[in-house]
Amino acid sequence: MARSSGDVMRRVVPVAAALLFLAVLAVALRPASTVAPRQPPTPGEGIDEAELQGRRGALVDRVVFTREADVGRVTGLIEAGSHQVFTQGISSTTVFNRLRDSLHTAYDLAYGTASELTLNPAGPELATGELNPFHVPAIREALNRLIDRRYIAEEIFGGLAVPRYLPLSTAFPDYARLADEARELELHYAHDPEAARDVIHREMEALGARFAGGRWWYRDAPVRLIALIRTEDERRRIGDYIANLMEDLGFAVERRYRTAEEASRLWIASDPRAGHWHFYTGSWITIVILRDQAEGFSFYYTPRGRAEPLWQAYRPVPEFDELADRLERRDYRTWVERQAMMTRALELAMEDSVRVWLVDQLNASARAANVAVAVDLAGGLSGSALWPYTLRYTDRVGGQMVFGTPNLLTEPWNPVAGSNWASDRMIMRATEDPMVIPDPFTGLYLPQRIEGAEVTVEAGVPVGRTLDWLSVESAEEIRVPEAAWIDWDGDAGRFVTVGEKHPEGVTARTRTRVAYEEALFERRWHDGSTLSLADFILPWILTFERADEGSRLFDVAHLATFEAFQRHFRGWHIVSRDPLVVEVYSDQIYPDAETIVAARAPAPIPWHTLALGILAEGSDELAFSSNKADQRRVDWMSLVAGPSVPILERQLRRARERGIRPYPAALGELLDAEEVAARYRALADWYAERGHFWVGNGPFELHSVHPVAGSVVLRRFAEFPDPADKWLRFSRPAIPELDLDGPLVVEVGEAAAFHLAVTFDGEPYAAEDIEQVQFLLFDGRGELARRGEAEALDDGLWRLALSAETVAALGAGANSLELAVTSRRVALPVFASHVFATVPAGGREGAP
Amino acid sequence: MSDSQRIPPPRRALWRDLRHLLAYTVKRLLALLLTVLVSVYLTIVIANMGGRVDELRLVQIRSEAAEAVRADPAFLDMPGEERHALIERRVSLEVERLRLDQPFLLRSVDYLQRAMRLELGRAEQMHSDRGSREVYDIIVERLPATLLLFGSANLLVFFTSVFVALTLSRRYGSALDRGVIALAPTSAAPGWFYGIFLILVFAFVIPLLPAGGMVAAPPPEGRWEYAASVLRHMLLPLAAMFLSSIFVSIYSWRTFFLIHSSEDYVEMARAKGLPSHLIERRYILRPTLSPIVTSFLLMLIGLWSGAIILEQVFNWPGLGSLLFRAIGHRDTPVIIGAVVIFAYLLAATVFLLDILYALLDPRVRLEGGRR
Repeated sequence: MARSSGDVMRRVVPVAAALLFLAVLAVALRPASTVAPRQPPTPGEGIDEAELQGRRGALVDRVVFTREADVGRVTGLIEAGSHQVFTQGISSTTVFNRLRDSLHTAYDLAYGTASELTLNPAGPELATGELNPFHVPAIREALNRLIDRRYIAEEIFGGLAVPRYLPLSTAFPDYARLADEARELELHYAHDPEAARDVIHREMEALGARFAGGRWWYRDAPVRLIALIRTEDERRRIGDYIANLMEDLGFAVERRYRTAEEASRLWIASDPRAGHWHFYTGSWITIVILRDQAEGFSFYYTPRGRAEPLWQAYRPVPEFDELADRLERRDYRTWVERQAMMTRALELAMEDSVRVWLVDQLNASARAANVAVAVDLAGGLSGSALWPYTLRYTDRVGGQMVFGTPNLLTEPWNPVAGSNWASDRMIMRATEDPMVIPDPFTGLYLPQRIEGAEVTVEAGVPVGRTLDWLSVESAEEIRVPEAAWIDWDGDAGRFVTVGEKHPEGVTARTRTRVAYEEALFERRWHDGSTLSLADFILPWILTFERADEGSRLFDVAHLATFEAFQRHFRGWHIVSRDPLVVEVYSDQIYPDAETIVAARAPAPIPWHTLALGILAEGSDELAFSSNKADQRRVDWMSLVAGPSVPILERQLRRARERGIRPYPAALGELLDAEEVAARYRALADWYAERGHFWVGNGPFELHSVHPVAGSVVLRRFAEFPDPADKWLRFSRPAIPELDLDGPLVVEVGEAAAFHLAVTFDGEPYAAEDIEQVQFLLFDGRGELARRGEAEALDDGLWRLALSAETVAALGAGANSLELAVTSRRVALPVFASHVFATVPAGGREGAP
Repeated sequence: MSDSQRIPPPRRALWRDLRHLLAYTVKRLLALLLTVLVSVYLTIVIANMGGRVDELRLVQIRSEAAEAVRADPAFLDMPGEERHALIERRVSLEVERLRLDQPFLLRSVDYLQRAMRLELGRAEQMHSDRGSREVYDIIVERLPATLLLFGSANLLVFFTSVFVALTLSRRYGSALDRGVIALAPTSAAPGWFYGIFLILVFAFVIPLLPAGGMVAAPPPEGRWEYAASVLRHMLLPLAAMFLSSIFVSIYSWRTFFLIHSSEDYVEMARAKGLPSHLIERRYILRPTLSPIVTSFLLMLIGLWSGAIILEQVFNWPGLGSLLFRAIGHRDTPVIIGAVVIFAYLLAATVFLLDILYALLDPRVRLEGGRR
């Protein structure tokens, strides 16, 4: 019997669908021929030295950035071999534990986030008529002893935090420089809930409150505290912990759980006297190592910090206020004076305690076990300047690495006012070769493209240097040469000299003479063109042009920054063109001479890509900055993707046809027709091959950009001049490991000696790399009996001797010896302690 | 007067029908426009919390400006008063840019009139992945990825469930039928929930498929390799969406077809001994075509919203995650842009359905029209 077409279809459709499904499955599951089979990573045996010989630039051939926001998958993806590195810092203890327990992963730790308790200082009565105990400094100060920071660090943060007492990050140089004073304060404010309770009871009664039935009462109503608790992270548990402590003390606590946005309306925007909150679980982030934290006192404790109502409610004692102000203005003559001021300010900050510092959080950067990379102690991997120079497999040279990053191409990229997001900046850094590079463990700048520098400062200005690649001198007066450029004449398109603008002459507080490396102008940009002086000068012209109201490049958003720059800029002067030597005059001071050079040394941007941007903004098609783009209703310029690219391509064609030289009056003599043509030709070839205009000179070049698919590919720049192992010594922070040994019992009248072994990776720590080993000796009553320094016996071995008189002065009892070791190789100080007993003469018998 | 005299001549009847149709069309379009207007304005008000978002934004702008100035070493030695003045200048620039100096009511009306004209404008905070600030670019850039994944999944679910449901409705009470009914509650779990398990099994335990993304990183250069890579990346999210909705979808269509299979006219057709495929096509599918088409079209425009969590789980660059980000940034123009396009699509679909009903079902006629 013949079947109807419907019956046939009914049988054919499912079979066809099944076949189609199988075909799709086969195609989908077929491994891509270009991708190497994935293997879980294992720690490598080490790179063969022969492989390193002759290798220039990066140690891997290709780096692929791909979007991955879920930190929960980090370990799994590394184990599966699909990713090798993650840029996002991990602060979740669950994720961290899994990362730590895996055999195929490794991690690096970074500091930079601090948790604290912000207290409302208004009062003593608030607008609601309620009592605010935190108006009283003594009660605020007592909280330091009430809170167990070790509990917060170890239980709430699961070990991903370290206790912090002071307004100094425990990982930054100021803390190391003041290690002994800091230690003394930390011991003074150590966890002592009984002492805290006594102070709070005394002060509450002085305020007119009464304690009855286990509760505090004020005007016949319970004393209520409003806890503003952030909910996004571990601060929720911190808030609960502190609320519990306050309830145990007899306060009624109302817990208000809020997100950042909701909380900010209350603690920042509202008047603290309105009584919307009493304490808030705050947090502060720093993404670079701050070598000078002196301004922190003004910011955190005085009305000068911010204009908001909370800061205006701060009432520091006059001594503290003056010290904070002087430290912020760097109003001191010598370093010793500065340290003394810092020490006193720390003491006063603890007595003031409008903020109670709790912990410094640690963020883990995840990587495969066979990957090594330099990670910044503050900024983590995404803040590391050295990552492109140190990234490598530990068992081979070359290869590809896949990075997971939470954000990619967050905002448009351009070299003038483009994206400043950490994730974007991290990729950009790989394509740039800076003049100086910060040490990821100390924050001190090291030379990359400069031979050396001379810093001259006005007499009495406290500037010091640590490294020997630069020198520091002082002079009674620093006169700026008449020929130095100090301004820009937009109409004439040329620089204005000091002699023209200030015939009477100009002086400056600093002169920074930077000598660039001899082969600077042999270096190449990624598109093959050679660096020239115009690459250094055009960015300077742009700084002035963008602040000139008569210019088509004028940008109101740039004006404030420019005015701040002009406040201290006193001119710059090209001393020699080849080799390039530049002098920059300024009134701005940093305590470290290395930082002054970093801030002053002009850096190049390829003039030919910048010229396209100038043409596009000048013709009102694009804008360098977001603000101007919105004002002019045009696109924010991106050199890598989007609607900007065809516009820039059109400008390139135009520039090439007409041989356009930007600012010919200023740059004309530097740019001959041949260079102009060669640059545009190289850029056109680059664009034809890569499809973008991002040209740099770093160890990696931007190979391709895939915005919607969410990936960016970097490829090793084969012509990078430096040996591949130039920066490898910075792969791991050399944090000293301490082993303090000494007698447990000392008889009064005897001398005592203690030995400290300082190692790193099992090897003795070079004595020259140790800045100092300080000790604090506390007697049985917990009072400081002596402070001093240990002496070096050999590399990795230090001795600390206590004379018989010192031991006798301790009297009988249990004593504590605290050591603080500060290294020149890492900002993080390390501590060790030893407890020993002093017994009367002859009392050792029977003692261990 | 006889009946034949009361029936107007064909030409007049046509004009009358056209008049009715025009009046109906105008009324429907006005009603739909009003609906779009109200829904978009409600979105504007809700997205801005009746203007309270301005307050939150001001605090955020001030904090960001203060932190930016503080973090910039160039301003490190600036006296406090000057630094505050600098922060204020930056705040006022941003306030001006976002027009926060204008009353919310005024801005809301402006947002509305632009939205109604489909003038999507510029985003306030966000950019498209390629770097454009035009809301149109931001949305359109994500559209292909959404259409690809959700279109494939929904079409697959729709046609499979209708086909299987029709088969099951013929085998009511069979083991397969009972099995599908038993599995229907599995659809209580959303797609992303299945997604997590599928990723765990097929990306980590047995690493056969990628854990997320739309294409390999870096994307393959050849067209076919690219397509194969996209297919590989689609499999898991597709499977997750399929698993989460297929059984309940089959169950509901099966019930729907069962109800219609027991109509008197179907019983009559069976009694007449018509072949089953003829009964299916003419007596079941044809009368039920209107709800099927409605469901299909609503499913199609439902693609517009994507699926926020599923896209997050699979790292899929679709419209759902875009909208999620826009809400997070409180980027009103992007939120309004997505909503107004959806509202217009919905209105157009509803209007189209009105027309389609009349074409598909002879029983549907305009009120007052010829019966």
